[in-house]
Amino acid sequence: MGFSVDFAGVLSGAPLHWLLTGFLTTIVVTIAASLVASLLAVILLGLRISESRAARVGAAGLIELFRNTPFLVQMMFWYFAAFGLLPTGIRDWINAEHSWATFPGNIPLVSPEFIASTWGLGIFSAVFIAEEIRAGLLALPKGQSEAAQSQGFGHWASLRFILLPQALTNSFQSVVGQYLNLMKLSSLATAIGLAEITYQVRQIESYNSHAIEAFAVGTSLYLLLGLAMGRLMLAFAPKRRDGRNETGAGNAA
Amino acid sequence: MTDSFSPVIEFRSVTKSYGTTPVIRGIDLSVAQGEVVVVCGPSGSGKSTLIRLVNRLESLTSGDILIDGHSTASYRGAALQRLRTGIGFVFQQFNLYGHLTAAENIALAPRKVLGLSAEEALSRARELLKRVGLSDKEASYPSQLSGGQQQRVAIARALAMQPKILLFDEPTSALDPEMIGEVLTVIRQLAETGITMLVVTHEMGFAREIADRVIFIDGGVILEDAPPEQFFLATRHPRAQRFLRQLLSPLHTTGD
Repeated sequence: MGFSVDFAGVLSGAPLHWLLTGFLTTIVVTIAASLVASLLAVILLGLRISESRAARVGAAGLIELFRNTPFLVQMMFWYFAAFGLLPTGIRDWINAEHSWATFPGNIPLVSPEFIASTWGLGIFSAVFIAEEIRAGLLALPKGQSEAAQSQGFGHWASLRFILLPQALTNSFQSVVGQYLNLMKLSSLATAIGLAEITYQVRQIESYNSHAIEAFAVGTSLYLLLGLAMGRLMLAFAPKRRDGRNETGAGNAA
Repeated sequence: MTDSFSPVIEFRSVTKSYGTTPVIRGIDLSVAQGEVVVVCGPSGSGKSTLIRLVNRLESLTSGDILIDGHSTASYRGAALQRLRTGIGFVFQQFNLYGHLTAAENIALAPRKVLGLSAEEALSRARELLKRVGLSDKEASYPSQLSGGQQQRVAIARALAMQPKILLFDEPTSALDPEMIGEVLTVIRQLAETGITMLVVTHEMGFAREIADRVIFIDGGVILEDAPPEQFFLATRHPRAQRFLRQLLSPLHTTGD
């Protein structure tokens, strides 16, 4: 075939610089979107399990909407459609230069691409995280909430002190999985022009046709990031107190 | 014990239905201060529902339950929470909080509901653990305790709120036979302290020993309400007679 692997075309000069900024961009957008996802998940979960029927139905509707439509479509919606609905003043401000909000490596944090990606990834992941935690709540024996009720705990107090601590332990592995998904899904932000790893890999491919090497390095960077994130989050895993065995994933890290 | 009869709990024409299925069909019952009332009856008779209505783990379909002379039928939200604070409930399945140690299980509600400081709540928890004979299990999680030990912690947890009324829903039915005794001993000691108790149980020997009155319930109505001597030796109602016979010799299930 006459094919030879040449990593020098990827790991030197401009391609190396692109890969590094791509890697940094993926890390930064993952962290920012994770924060947004966590905040939105708390709000959505609070509405979904509140005592108000209207709040529950509204939250359930939002959750179904974001769970059952393709993420790529959602991302494009935020970037191409929703962004255009913002007032002109805000759009001009976002499009302007912001030296104070530029991450080392010339990564602009205030740009339509970064904001749409962060928001899109955040809300998409939030609905899954909220549902994982709710599943953890539903898995608790009914006796736990009855015991809390019988002692005079109200709805939110019993959630706060008795039900959620146990539900979070139950759902911890799946929630970690959702944050890892968020990181991997950030690759789709390439479709709206966020210069993250996948975007840079494709740029290298069209620059010097080192597709195999570029994708190999890009994939390795995702793998590296995923393993690091997984280990980091599992270090915070709550300890099971209910006598059930911890699942394998905890030991694998 | 019933000389100055001031009812602490008073059922007035209480009914409870699940959908169209009636479970409690019109119950009137008064329980005096310090009285120990044992509720028995075949499975599905509504006896658990009856005591779960008192602290409103089940909602009333109609009628009213007076606690200390106060109507509770209209209680919602904060009023209901206050009512429950004064009524201890012990479950068949213990229902200890799985993520907390024995001492934390007992101290949680006194801290978060009654507003005690952490030290006060902990010292109360220790006192109660001593009282149920589990001082050495303070730091154990429920999963590390036997069924009998868990139920004793659950009783201590109910007592931590210093309730006027204690409700027991088949407290020994989920226990291995060798652990029933330790739990009954604790309940027997409580019966002597003058706290008002409603106890659903199948332990007839125990019922006979601690009860001031025995209520026999079947099909959602009270069929017999009698002092224990009378209930066990000379029960009048044929359904109660059959029930007692079956408990005494479980294989002899057909009536005469």
